[in-house]
Amino acid sequence: MVFSVAYHFLHDRDLAEEIAQDVFLSLHRNLGAVESPAHAAHWLRKVAVQRSIDAARRRTRRPQVALDDVAEPSERPSPGDPLLGDLLRKLIATLPESQRMAMVLRYQEDLDPSEIADVMGIPLGTVKSHIQRSLALLREKLARRGVGER
Amino acid sequence: MDWLEDELKNALSRKEPGEGFDERVLAAARRRNVVAMPRRWMAAAAAVIVLAGAGEAYRWHRGQEAKEQVMLAMRITGHKLNLVQARIAGERQ
Repeated sequence: MVFSVAYHFLHDRDLAEEIAQDVFLSLHRNLGAVESPAHAAHWLRKVAVQRSIDAARRRTRRPQVALDDVAEPSERPSPGDPLLGDLLRKLIATLPESQRMAMVLRYQEDLDPSEIADVMGIPLGTVKSHIQRSLALLREKLARRGVGER
Repeated sequence: MDWLEDELKNALSRKEPGEGFDERVLAAARRRNVVAMPRRWMAAAAAVIVLAGAGEAYRWHRGQEAKEQVMLAMRITGHKLNLVQARIAGERQ
């Protein structure tokens, strides 16, 4: 969960592993404050989100991927196609950081919007708006690439 | 949940870190524990040095004060002796 949040958010395996290690060492230092396994999971998710956002802000050597820079696939991917998964990950990487993290928590961690709001420390309305906007944008970009509804 | 959300779930499925990640975390935790121990000793040693240094400085300061007091006393005594000598000399004349 910790590595995966950082990996899908940053698209950098080494950096994600570094963050995951840091998060677990942080948990190790704060074990006394952990009350239950559920609390530990919540704590890990929250710290992973924060460290990933911090790392993305610090990361200047690798510029963010612009939406227009995502290459058109050579073939039109269809639903269920691994190419579509790849294209979706690339399109998600182009979203602004707050929207991107909300999408990762929604579709990787399967959290509902109120849980996402809690983990990210932002209002529920903002989370809902982030998800709706991101989905609309992805639909539009996919439609432009010829990927439509089933 | 529509087709796009299903695809997003597949695309963002959980990924695992590289092999040996657990061992690397445990090794890092052990390293931190080893490093943390001398730090505590270093802090204690620093406190001892500061306290010893402060004691020495205090003694030096007290020594300087005492020295100045002796010098002042000698200056006063010398001045008084001069006055006494001057008075004696005046009476003789």
